[in-house]
Amino acid sequence: MEIVVNIILAVLGMYFLIGILFGLYFLFKGATKIDPLMKDTKKKVRILLFPGIIATWPFLIKRLFKSKSL
Amino acid sequence: MGLDYQLVLWNKFKKTYDKIIVLAMLLYVILFAAITLTFNSETSIETLIIRAFGSLAIIMLHIILIIGPLSRLNSSFLPILYNRRHLGVSMFIAALIHGGFSIFQFHALGDVNPIYSIFTSNMDYGSLTNFPFQVLGFFALLILFVLASTSHDFFLSNLSAKIWKRLHMMVYIAYALIIAHVFLGAFQQETSTFTIGLLITGFIIVSGLHLVSAYKEHKVDKTSTNGTENWLKVCDISEIEEDRAKIFTIQNERVAIFKYDGKLSAIHNVCKHQGGPLGEGKIIDGCITCPWHGYQYLPHNGQSPPPFTEKVSTYQLKLENKTVFINPKAFDEGTEVEPCKY
Ligand code: HEM
Ligand code: FES
Repeated sequence: MEIVVNIILAVLGMYFLIGILFGLYFLFKGATKIDPLMKDTKKKVRILLFPGIIATWPFLIKRLFKSKSL
Repeated sequence: MGLDYQLVLWNKFKKTYDKIIVLAMLLYVILFAAITLTFNSETSIETLIIRAFGSLAIIMLHIILIIGPLSRLNSSFLPILYNRRHLGVSMFIAALIHGGFSIFQFHALGDVNPIYSIFTSNMDYGSLTNFPFQVLGFFALLILFVLASTSHDFFLSNLSAKIWKRLHMMVYIAYALIIAHVFLGAFQQETSTFTIGLLITGFIIVSGLHLVSAYKEHKVDKTSTNGTENWLKVCDISEIEEDRAKIFTIQNERVAIFKYDGKLSAIHNVCKHQGGPLGEGKIIDGCITCPWHGYQYLPHNGQSPPPFTEKVSTYQLKLENKTVFINPKAFDEGTEVEPCKY
């Protein structure tokens, strides 16, 4: 059981860590590429979006790659 | 509809609702503390906070879950539905205070990582009466975090409405986890019978309302498809109120038929903003106005008035002796259709 707990928590921890790193890039650079509305969006709003980006980064990365290949 | 994202799309009504939410939450916590301390003056402040915010969160979750079916049964609940997102974020904050204080009180003072401690301080995973119920609360809180943090419009448009909706359906998983969390936790607390009674009552109300509203929708869906040739007969013109619409299901798509200025127009019922039910909105200044956040569309072509660019699909109607017929084939989004005059 301890092993299962360790694995679950390690996966969760890594998910969040990647989310934080990706989030920093995405908020100030990447987001504008997939959503033109982000260009004029204020800093306060960007910070509000940060937790959600940490939570959903795999979806957003996918969008980012798709938009680049266009 | 805007040109950049705002912190929160507040308007006067929403501000009032938000004030009501905050005041009601404060009032609940104060009352809870007062009642608990009257009956048990030795309760510590931490325990008080944990219990007050845990019970507050689950009550708010019940309200959130019944708003949907209630507003489908009776439209006077709609204004609360439009504010459900703020209620959801407030509920998450209450749950976070509860979880945070629990972690602090039970897990932060040892030498193991507190999150690790939630999972390992009690390893009785095979037991029913001594199950580590806090683990279930932890996963529920994780789901609530995902929902609250993605409640901004940015995520609706960038995750796509489909994925966003799927993510937010996880609220039912969170609900199940929380029921188990409280149920299994109650065995280990002194509050048990009262808590379990409330929990069961809440579950019956939530599931009952969902079943009733699903049954009612099913009936509406059935009545609308008895047609002649390509035209489907939908209703009598008198059944639609002036400047309002009636919603029908036409070949699995929801369509709103509006009546205004002696004319009839039909458009797809789903708002481009967040899927709000356009047919539950009114015609304001000649535009169909979404009841959720006020996006507007012209009835004869389904387009938002310039400079906005949203478009929904339109349908052709015809009138024979006060009976309205619809051509079930939708036109492309934003197609101009001559309104049907009466
Ligand atoms: C990290 C997450 C969580 C932890 C560590 C946690 C921990 C606890 C603990 C220790 C108790 C027993 C408190 C007591 O009666 O002394 C409890 C009860 C409870 N929890 Fe949680 N919880 C978590 C998440 C949640 C969430 C997300 C909800 C609901 C939204 C929730 C709702 C409740 C309720 C309603 C009770 C019963 C309160 C009462 O006894 O009056 N919990 N939780
Ligand atoms: S759903 Fe937001 S305005 Fe229609």
